Amino acid sequence: MAQDEGAQAGRAQDIRRGVLVGLPIMLGYLPIAFSFGVAATKAGLSPIEAVAMSLLMYSGAAQFMAIALIAAGAGFWVMVATLVGMSLRHVLYGPSLLRSAGLDQPPRGAMIWGFGLTDEVFGAGLGAIARGQRLTSGFIAALALVAYAAWVGGTALGALAGAGALAAWPALDAGLGFMLTALFLALLLSILKRAQLPVIAAALAGTALASVALSPTAGIMAGMILGAALGTMMRGQNAG
Amino acid sequence: MRVEIFALIALVGACVWALRALPLRMDLARIGAGGALARFFAATGVAAIATLFAASILPEVAAGRTLPALIGSAAVLAVYLPSRSVVLATLAGASAYGAGFALLA
Repeated sequence: MAQDEGAQAGRAQDIRRGVLVGLPIMLGYLPIAFSFGVAATKAGLSPIEAVAMSLLMYSGAAQFMAIALIAAGAGFWVMVATLVGMSLRHVLYGPSLLRSAGLDQPPRGAMIWGFGLTDEVFGAGLGAIARGQRLTSGFIAALALVAYAAWVGGTALGALAGAGALAAWPALDAGLGFMLTALFLALLLSILKRAQLPVIAAALAGTALASVALSPTAGIMAGMILGAALGTMMRGQNAG
Repeated sequence: MRVEIFALIALVGACVWALRALPLRMDLARIGAGGALARFFAATGVAAIATLFAASILPEVAAGRTLPALIGSAAVLAVYLPSRSVVLATLAGASAYGAGFALLA
């Protein structure tokens, strides 16, 4: 009985810690998700489509890219390949988290909370584990849920505010429009290693050249293919 | 909701879930840190983000908003390097771009 009560108290504490670790992410996600909601309606998506994207895709960079591709009239499979390709970096997040926590098997509910392993949740989880937090289902599920709720809620607010919401504040509108570029640059910095510089250079050059010579969509495909091919061929160096 | 948009959201969402959740149940040790598959995964992620940064900043340059874009990018660097926070750096970059845009307008 006392053991059960102890376990319950431990679970409650893990959930509280997950919520606390997730609060800074929540504060950051709200304005970014709001700007996504506004940008999505500007690009012609309905509020329901914008919120569905946040509910089911839950990937900021991919979502911003999705609305840019939809607005540009890109082909369906080009959009799928681009958006999935952007998300490949997530493959190693879960195993990396387990390794850091010294676990062979994930805590309960991994097929559910695993969906919440965004860049920021992964980073915050890794940091908390480094500070001594146990990787329990209560902790990681609470952390993921706080971030997810902020992302979906922020999107709904932005989508309901609508495309014309910021017409009276052009500087704010411009700043929110730059959010995507800033997010990509910050993400790039967060995963950057010196050995990856040739991959980045190839991707940047391929994108710029093909965008100017052909089209922005061709630029995206060219940059990703060139960078990935070069990184895969770079034997003897850890390009990742 | 339009069928094509829903299909896109559902398909990409399912792939995102698979990429994030399924590796928790898989023995990824066999991929090996230096293997071709590991290099492909690592390089694709970096290449995709670099590509998307280029693709999103090129229209800024083409539209003559190079200076606000530079100010915004510099702010991302300035905040990311000490804080290591993607969220804070993104917010700082967007704020600096908005401020630059207002000053130059």
